Amino acid sequence: MSDLHWMTVAEAARAIAARELSPVELMNALLERISRLDPKLNVFIRLDGAAAMEAARAAEAEIVSGRRREPLHGVPVGIKDIIDVAGLPTTCHSKILIDNIASADAVCVSRLRAAGAIVLGKLSTHEFAIGGPSFDLPWAPARNPWNPDHHPGGSSSGSGSGLAAGLFPMALGSDTGGSVRNPASACGIVGLKPTYGLVSRRGVFPLSFTLDHVGPMTRTVGDNVLLLDVVAGHDPLDPGSVAAPSGHYASGLDCGVRGLRIGFVRHFHEEDMPANAEVMAALEHVARTLQTLGAEIRDVRLPTLGEFAAVNRVILQSEAWAIHGQWLRERPGEYGQLARRRLMAGAFMSAGDYVQAGRRRLEMISAVEGALRDVDILLCASAMDPPSRIDSPEEVERTYPRQARTPFNVTGHPAVAMMSGLSSGGLPLSVQFVGRNFAEATLFQAAREWERAAGTDNMHPPVL
Amino acid sequence: MDKVIIELLARRAGLDKALAEFPEDVTAAAEQASGSVAKMKAPSDPRAEPWPPMRVGTGL
Repeated sequence: MSDLHWMTVAEAARAIAARELSPVELMNALLERISRLDPKLNVFIRLDGAAAMEAARAAEAEIVSGRRREPLHGVPVGIKDIIDVAGLPTTCHSKILIDNIASADAVCVSRLRAAGAIVLGKLSTHEFAIGGPSFDLPWAPARNPWNPDHHPGGSSSGSGSGLAAGLFPMALGSDTGGSVRNPASACGIVGLKPTYGLVSRRGVFPLSFTLDHVGPMTRTVGDNVLLLDVVAGHDPLDPGSVAAPSGHYASGLDCGVRGLRIGFVRHFHEEDMPANAEVMAALEHVARTLQTLGAEIRDVRLPTLGEFAAVNRVILQSEAWAIHGQWLRERPGEYGQLARRRLMAGAFMSAGDYVQAGRRRLEMISAVEGALRDVDILLCASAMDPPSRIDSPEEVERTYPRQARTPFNVTGHPAVAMMSGLSSGGLPLSVQFVGRNFAEATLFQAAREWERAAGTDNMHPPVL
Repeated sequence: MDKVIIELLARRAGLDKALAEFPEDVTAAAEQASGSVAKMKAPSDPRAEPWPPMRVGTGL
């Protein structure tokens, strides 16, 4: 079997279950690739290769003896390093937590293990999921496998980079202002921010309690469905968790988009933050393609991106200050400069500002709900620019806020980002689909149809 | 935001050490905050409630 590193989760799980592929063989191939590419990409903060290989051998023995775990038996997964894995440090890519050993798995990790997945290690992130890309931390920032001179997006940088580089077939990220969907956009993979409360956050270091989401990251839409199916579900010990029915996310995968009503939020990228010309053209191409395949496309207006971003920042930085205030008072020098600046901002916001943001938030939720009464899903930009160079703080600073992801952290609606095409410079461009609460299946339906039409699931970085 | 006000607010928040060691970062943080707050529109209805709302519960 060749190119094991490009196998999808579904292909690997099926081949392992059919005993056509040994989990040990797959793990060996990935570890070899990691040893070759990770020095250039900085995907891992902590590679747990020996334990992963031991787990692969145990999985093989279980399968041979007829003891099967479904649906991910023997399939490796990477975990963003703000998510606890028992016995490993959860550093949040920060000196502050460099010795913070997790005593138990986060709920999402224990669900993955119960489904048979094997944890490969902990992945690079922006510091505390907010400060990056930074060069003043104990670990270098991850780089984009499409061109290592470019930023892979963040904050789930290692998750996006490692998937696009073929270092593992699935990963977990977290998303407070777009941190799953940004690396998905920059690295040309599939990243879902599920409906708020669908995936437990217990065991995940918080950035902002009312905006944080854990999300599946994969190379294909079908794999994202598989991963969401495993990690979704009510957790009574997570105060934000919702006892909503989960599952059946694959129900629309092969249904196409005929008759689907799609609201195109053009003002995000045409008026609010005029996008790069190639990004705009790719978005129009996605809309036209889906229309040709039978979807009904109509224009939709929401509050402006500037308003959404301001509300997101006031809530995020107020809640983050509550978490980091003590460390910032006592150990400010142990943060990188970007995280220090962003996390201290909450000290300069008032309680009134925070409540006002919550009141505006409810109006924004109503606006998105209103739009989704008339259409089944929304189509909009994710990033307004191709990934910037990583070594240019000015370019990162200019492009990083130019995005349309934060609105759906504010409102909690599910949103998936994926590749819309490639720029003339060979870097991924992106599109975002947004759905009704707990209607991830409809999102996957549209995303899969675009993936099938464009062949984005077979597009990999050329030099790797 | 005025430099004196930034310093007062920073000290009130207990950021004396950051003020001494990273004064430019403190100023940048204060400017970020005031920029975000300034861009936020007030709700149009004075009775508008914040989200998420208080809900009765049993605790964890």
